[in-house]
Amino acid sequence: MAAVTVGTSSGRSAGRGIRGERRAEMLTGLAFVFIPLLLYVFLYFGAMVYAAYISLWRWGLRGPRAFLGIHNYEQVFGDPIFWKAVTNTLYYVAVWVPLTMALGLFLAVIVNQGLRGQTFFRAAFYFPTLASSAAITVVWIFLLQPDGLFNSARAVAGLNPIFQALGYTDNFNWLGSSRTAMNAIILLNAWTTSGTVMLFYLTFLQQISRDIYEAAAIDGAGAWQTFRRITFPLLRPAHFFVATLLVIGGFKLFDQAIIAGGRGGEPSNSLTTIVLFIYRSAITDSEFGYAAAVGVVLFAIIFTLTLAQRRIFGEAPSW
Amino acid sequence: MTGPAEPTVTAAEAIVAPSPPTTVGAAGDSGRKVRRTIGYALLIGYAFLMLIPFLWQLITSFKTNPDALRLTVVPSPFTLQGWQTGFLTLDPSIPQLFLNSVIIAGAVTLTNLVLASTAGYAFARLRFPLREFLFIAVLGTLMIPDQLRFVPVYLIERQLGLITRNPINYVGVVLILAVEAQQLFLMRQYFLSMPRDLEEAAKIDGAGHVTTFLRVMLPLAGPALAAVSILAFQGAWNGFFWPLLILQSQDHWTLPLGLFSFRSEFRTDWPALMSVTVAAILPILAMYVFFQKYFVQSVASSGVKG
Repeated sequence: MAAVTVGTSSGRSAGRGIRGERRAEMLTGLAFVFIPLLLYVFLYFGAMVYAAYISLWRWGLRGPRAFLGIHNYEQVFGDPIFWKAVTNTLYYVAVWVPLTMALGLFLAVIVNQGLRGQTFFRAAFYFPTLASSAAITVVWIFLLQPDGLFNSARAVAGLNPIFQALGYTDNFNWLGSSRTAMNAIILLNAWTTSGTVMLFYLTFLQQISRDIYEAAAIDGAGAWQTFRRITFPLLRPAHFFVATLLVIGGFKLFDQAIIAGGRGGEPSNSLTTIVLFIYRSAITDSEFGYAAAVGVVLFAIIFTLTLAQRRIFGEAPSW
Repeated sequence: MTGPAEPTVTAAEAIVAPSPPTTVGAAGDSGRKVRRTIGYALLIGYAFLMLIPFLWQLITSFKTNPDALRLTVVPSPFTLQGWQTGFLTLDPSIPQLFLNSVIIAGAVTLTNLVLASTAGYAFARLRFPLREFLFIAVLGTLMIPDQLRFVPVYLIERQLGLITRNPINYVGVVLILAVEAQQLFLMRQYFLSMPRDLEEAAKIDGAGHVTTFLRVMLPLAGPALAAVSILAFQGAWNGFFWPLLILQSQDHWTLPLGLFSFRSEFRTDWPALMSVTVAAILPILAMYVFFQKYFVQSVASSGVKG
């Protein structure tokens, strides 16, 4: 190691002794963490407490107007649009999370086979992650509009009879129909996130010792059997990790919903997620107290779910 | 979270040096060959599925409007109309959106670098009271969802006068993204993994803590700083929610926000819209092409998608 030449006045250890030395370290340490901690206190912990406080009032742009106690919460639970937002979000999480996990796992297993062209595949799968949610959603809208690439491509591929049988016209407006809008978003996000999930699963897969596979092969296990009985169960920590991440992320769905469905979650609130609902209450309706209350409720839901997930899947692996 | 000294295989290594084929199944050579072919086919198919939308958007940006809706790969005629609209007609124009994105992403990257490295170093190597408790508090911020805190944060910034059409509005956004717990954690992990001899040598030479940090530890933290830069820049560049909430004036919009607004205004001018999306993706794409190694590393070491 090259010696550090210090010619400045910051070399203090000589004169001050251990006490001074310790004090200098303490002060430097506190100084270094001061700004981040200040920000965290105000923008995270303070904000949380403030949110709870705000939720007890009728709060407009000019500030608090009337103390309501738990009235906001009563209103929240009686609001049909709130419940629509909840069901939309729950539906999204229930479908998107397993779908994305399955896709990611599937890809990871294939890539783990040691096929060539890893760099290319890795780059390709990671691609959607590089783009902003806005850009991707706009492209998706473009592709799924009535005369967009998807409808044109399926017409050319001769798949229209199948779609017609399922009740979809030739120029179906996928994002414009309340039946399919949310599913279209689910597919969009599954596609976008599968690459990252693949990377996670790949890490875990690489840690499984090859001896186990060799033993299984010797015992005559087929590929599917090996996967089902050995790989899948051994990936338990991975499942837990990925599932937790995705569930939490799923409840935060906002960007794609508002870009595709606008502030109103068109069509007919089918794209209104909980977060979009909070956003609307706060920014469009200027009902900050109400919005804060929904936020608190959302937090409670996520918190409970995370705890429940721990119960079901066992403790998270310590990193 | 994995750090450089982790004995287990990190995702970075996993992808850089893939493991040899696992011998799965006793079906014999032909079975394996079939499986490999299917595997390749699926992977290639999926890879194209990943890339097609982006290729399509690039191609569309060079088409005329009616042509944009046709299933043709080659624009006919090939035109810069879409781009012209994007640069000249749209308000705010692509250059303006781009500039705003640069300002915000640049500022956020800078603050993250400075704050995450100093605080990360302090948590890793400096002793001060309540250090462990405070660090747990930092980690605790990861548990608090944006959705819970955005209403109070908005009101707080309103009260601080940051919600305005004035340029100081930018500060409102940067403040929120200034130092993310994820980056702080990353830097701390990295500093923890560095050998103590370095600091001891510096101490013997009479260096104080600040000097040791600036002249010894920081210069050696290159990979971690690169990871922080990439994560911070990418997150801020692509960020949608906070800029949407905080930025009040159209003149200050970032690219994602521009896309959001144009989507409703320019419902039918797809080539123009596509030109904006391409402009939005290009810088990150360029960064990725040149710094691919660091990207994968940062995904691996962070363990969390931004």
